[in-house]
Amino acid sequence: MKWTVGRKIGAGFGLAVALLVALGIITYRSTSELLRVTDERHASTKCISQLDDVFGLINGAAASSFGYALTGDEQYLQALDAAHGAVQKDIQEVETHLVDSEQRARLGRLEAMLTECLAQLLSEADTRKTKGLDAATQVAQSHDTRRELAQIHDVIREIETVELAMLGKHEAAAEAGSKAATRYIVGGVLIAMLLLGAAGYLITRSVARPLREITTTAERIAAGDLSMTIVSNGRRDEIGVLTLAFQHMVESLQGVAQSAELIAAGDLTVNLKPQSDKDVLVHTLSRMVTTLRGSTQKIQEAASVLSASASEIVAAVTQVTSGATETAAAVSETATTVEEVKQTASVSTQKAKQVSENAQQSVHVSQLGEKSVNETIDGMNRIREQMESIATSIVRLSEQSQAIGEIIASVNDLAEQSNLLAVNASIEAARAGEQGKGFAVVAQEVKVLAEQSKQATGQVRTILSDIQKATGAAVMAIEQGGKAVEAGVKQSTETGESIQSLAKNVVEAAQALLHIEASSRQQLVGMDQVAVAMDNIRTASVQNVASMNQVETAARNLHELGQNLRQVVQHYKV
Amino acid sequence: MSENWSEFYRHIETARAAVAHGFETHVQDPQEILRARARKLAQSPDRTDSGERIEVVEFLLAQERYAIGSSYVREVYPLKSLTELPCTPAFVLGIMNVRGQILSVLDLKKFFDLPDQALNELGKVIIVKAGNMELGVLADAVVGVRSLAMSDIQPPLPTLSDAHAEYLLGVTRERMAVLDAGRILADTRIIVDDEVEA
Repeated sequence: MKWTVGRKIGAGFGLAVALLVALGIITYRSTSELLRVTDERHASTKCISQLDDVFGLINGAAASSFGYALTGDEQYLQALDAAHGAVQKDIQEVETHLVDSEQRARLGRLEAMLTECLAQLLSEADTRKTKGLDAATQVAQSHDTRRELAQIHDVIREIETVELAMLGKHEAAAEAGSKAATRYIVGGVLIAMLLLGAAGYLITRSVARPLREITTTAERIAAGDLSMTIVSNGRRDEIGVLTLAFQHMVESLQGVAQSAELIAAGDLTVNLKPQSDKDVLVHTLSRMVTTLRGSTQKIQEAASVLSASASEIVAAVTQVTSGATETAAAVSETATTVEEVKQTASVSTQKAKQVSENAQQSVHVSQLGEKSVNETIDGMNRIREQMESIATSIVRLSEQSQAIGEIIASVNDLAEQSNLLAVNASIEAARAGEQGKGFAVVAQEVKVLAEQSKQATGQVRTILSDIQKATGAAVMAIEQGGKAVEAGVKQSTETGESIQSLAKNVVEAAQALLHIEASSRQQLVGMDQVAVAMDNIRTASVQNVASMNQVETAARNLHELGQNLRQVVQHYKV
Repeated sequence: MSENWSEFYRHIETARAAVAHGFETHVQDPQEILRARARKLAQSPDRTDSGERIEVVEFLLAQERYAIGSSYVREVYPLKSLTELPCTPAFVLGIMNVRGQILSVLDLKKFFDLPDQALNELGKVIIVKAGNMELGVLADAVVGVRSLAMSDIQPPLPTLSDAHAEYLLGVTRERMAVLDAGRILADTRIIVDDEVEA
């Protein structure tokens, strides 16, 4: 059986409980004994007191009897009856308290004596009642009441003495019991203290020391000291397990600490192996390394960008500075220009007035132009009518040329036939021989005439063809002329509209020119303000130049900062 | 512009007057024309009385000049209302009505391997006659009648084929082929006597 720490503590507590139970039993017994003795003492005391009471009552009853006998007062009789009842009641009570048989016998005797005495007294009272004082006196003389009372007293004394003796005996017993109980209790407590103390010492020794050691170790770990080496003490109980667990914990923490050492040295390529899924430290460290790696890369990039940007800013600032200088110069020139513009504006105001007057004249001119255009349109329309009549004439001419052509064709036919006739005539002449010679000449002449007619008709045909072409061209030209006239009419109309809108525009322009005149005056005022503003701008640009120099210095510092940052970050292995 | 217009009016007026007075403007100088004709006619024919002469009718066939002795020519007639005949050789163009007489028309271009030309109204027919034989020869145009010295007519080239040489009387220096109409008309090959099975 393994004595684990739990079992050890259980055994200790079991021992304590056993001792407590033993002590309790002893105490209970002593106390109950003491109670019994006390009860007995109480009964004896009560008995004695009741007997004393009884004696008092019997004396009282005797006195009452005597009283009645002397006085005949009924009140005494009542007291006598009351005493009689009370005596019997007391005797019964005493009997319940008595345990000893002898005492009971003595009590029986007492009771009988009391009963007799009381009966005597009652009879005396009855006698007084029935036979008067004398008889009663006689009865009373015959009856020795005093002796009876003394006997009763003796018996009572006897019982009391016995009871007192018993009382003393009981008190002694009670005292002895109390002392014994006190001894048991003191002794038991002392033994229990010794046993429990020893058990407590043993348990504490086997548990507390290793725990203290482990606590010390834990405090060192808590203080961050991981330099210790925990050796297992060979125990297999909770302490042993705890020690082993501490050993693992310290080794794990040392591993983490080594990784952290590497990370601290700037090696971010460390591969961390978590001990379990819930290894918060390693997971966190791993995440931290990942985050740190990302951050370092970003910082490297940022440092590069910062450095490059700072260079660009320096360059830009230099340009801006030179630009600001140029701006200052340009602003001076602009101020001069503004002055010139101001003068120009006054000139343009005068010009605007002149132009306005000119515009009024232009309105008149444009109205005249409109009238002219209307006349032009009328003229164009007339031209168009003329063209149409020309076209009709030309077409008629063309038709007549065609008729001439037909005539020419028939003439040509006639010439052809004449030619043939001439040939036939020649043949006939040849056949006639010498007589036909003259006829042959005539035939030859006819043939020549026919050929000439043919040539003439050819010429006429050529001329007619030329005339046809010319008339065609003329018709086309007239058509184009007509179209041109149409276009002219259209353009004249458009021109009229243009001139109308021109006139309208000129009127509007005249109005606008009035506005322009007013504007020019305002412009003049505005230019003065611009001049003042330009002066302010000049001051501002001088300040700008100074500021830009400061910015340049700052940008150079930024550049150095970027370089430093890059050097710092390059220390890390990513 | 106005000047131009007056010019126009003047021209038109002149033309109108010319038309009204019978084209007098065109016969401006009749004497000149008459003189030119006289010069033309005054050229003396280079006649040599030594040789024998014949009268020929000169005509054109596919731009080439041919001539037929006028003794064989009855008359020249315009090519009108030609009726083509089926089932005849290619050289028979058709038949035509000359004042009530039905004549067959030959196309000599087929004989001389000349390029064909479309028939038109300007074509002429030379009606030749020898003995009983009378027929029309198609000519593109008839130039006229002229007389030739027999000495001018040279024999045809020996390279010509028999058929050609057979119909030719000779060739003049002006490269005019003179046809022997008598031999053409006497040739039995031009007589068509075929029966065609229906």
